[in-house]
Amino acid sequence: MLVTMTGVRLSYGRWPALDKIDMEIKQGEFLVISGPSGAGKTTLLRLIWMGDRPDSGLVEVSGFRSDRIRRSELPQLRRKIGIVFQDFRLLHTRTVFDNVALPLQVTGTGKRTVQKRVISLLARMGLSHRRNAFPHELSGGEQQRVAIARAMVAHPVILLADEPTGNLDPEVSREVVELLLEINRGGTTVVMATHDPRQVPAGKGRFLFLDKGVLRGADRWTELDSET
Amino acid sequence: MSLFQSATREVAINLTSRPGARLVTLLMVALAFIVFDTFLIISWNLQGIMDREENLVGMEVFLQRDISQAQGLVIGDNISSMPDVKSVYYVSPQEAEALFRAELPGRADLLDVMGNDFRLPASLQIVFEPETMNQGRITELSRQIGSIAGVDDAVYGEDYLPGLLKTVTTIRRLVILLGIVLVSSISMVVFYTVRLSVVRRSLTVDIMRTVGAPWWFIRIPFVIEGVFMGVIGSAGGLAISAILSKVLAGAVTHRFMPLSWMTLVILLGAITGTVGALAGSYEKER
Repeated sequence: MLVTMTGVRLSYGRWPALDKIDMEIKQGEFLVISGPSGAGKTTLLRLIWMGDRPDSGLVEVSGFRSDRIRRSELPQLRRKIGIVFQDFRLLHTRTVFDNVALPLQVTGTGKRTVQKRVISLLARMGLSHRRNAFPHELSGGEQQRVAIARAMVAHPVILLADEPTGNLDPEVSREVVELLLEINRGGTTVVMATHDPRQVPAGKGRFLFLDKGVLRGADRWTELDSET
Repeated sequence: MSLFQSATREVAINLTSRPGARLVTLLMVALAFIVFDTFLIISWNLQGIMDREENLVGMEVFLQRDISQAQGLVIGDNISSMPDVKSVYYVSPQEAEALFRAELPGRADLLDVMGNDFRLPASLQIVFEPETMNQGRITELSRQIGSIAGVDDAVYGEDYLPGLLKTVTTIRRLVILLGIVLVSSISMVVFYTVRLSVVRRSLTVDIMRTVGAPWWFIRIPFVIEGVFMGVIGSAGGLAISAILSKVLAGAVTHRFMPLSWMTLVILLGAITGTVGALAGSYEKER
């Protein structure tokens, strides 16, 4: 199992963000975590990259346990994880190439390897012609593709996408979801948090519904959909 | 590219990005240091005045009239070997008369009235170590010296000395206290200014964390930036203070602070800048 959560509970002050979370994510899976704003989707992803630790319970990711991991080991875990955010989080003073190359540069990867890997990935994302552009010169869809390229450049075992289509129009959103599915077909585990799971075609992944910090199962959205 | 080269590149990117914001930070740091430099210049000059005043803390020992110059010098040697005595100077009757005439020209006729045979007594001018001097010690020395054979009288400023010593001590304590307050507040200003400039770039720290950058890789560029801003800001403040000091030199006679103090000012800038940057990056890195 790539990710295991057992009896996880996390509060921010007196506000419970997640409660009684038990879940597993298998290698190569495409998992969609849906739920309304404030349901705890982002918090769940933060627990996976150990941006937060649970108040109680255990999170285990690729052999790293939340109760044992040392601060100095966090970078090692995070190098196995690619993260994509709704607001892209690109460095605006750096070019597309430098943004994508960042995860390799922070691990001291050789210049030639960085060059080769980034150029190949940019080609795959259809961004070769934009490699010297700055983020503010790109469309929203292009910025998100740069963010995905950055998340994928260091060959992560798991890709976390937190509302990756939240700032994009429907057409570009479809392209981004298709890109994530393609990455998953390549063997990378993808966990996508979204308020609208209908973006992912049925049968293409496993769906979990999160409500007020509690996992409500897979069929909740279907119920809500039929109610409307 | 090695990790070190990547880190160096990060430092270069940090230092060259957002020049406007960096300039504002540098100006804030420099302004804070101008206030501190002004205090240091005042303290340095006040120190000079107090040193001069303290060096006046001394005693005049009048020798008996039948004491020869050789005997007087021996007494002087004995006194100079006493603890807390800084220097002893023998004033012959001729020199005493010359001094009297030079310092009190309006009363020189008094000497003439006394006749040609009159001689002022030889004396010893004693200067004490100012650091160890206090009213009790000076009274004790006065008693010891007064009991030496050949000494007629030992006189010191009984009227003004206690007040002078007390004033000098009080001023010194006030300067130290004000110095501590100023160093603390300047450090806080620099600390928070640098910290704020680091926190402003929280996105960079966030991204570095999520892509798995080691902690030192995230912090080193900020620390170097902190040192840079602290050193350049404090040096800039010093330069502006030096210019102001030169401009005001005609109106107010004073000395600029010594090189050792300037080095300490820049060191303070470097330390507070570093601590501020470390705190800012640590806050975002957690």
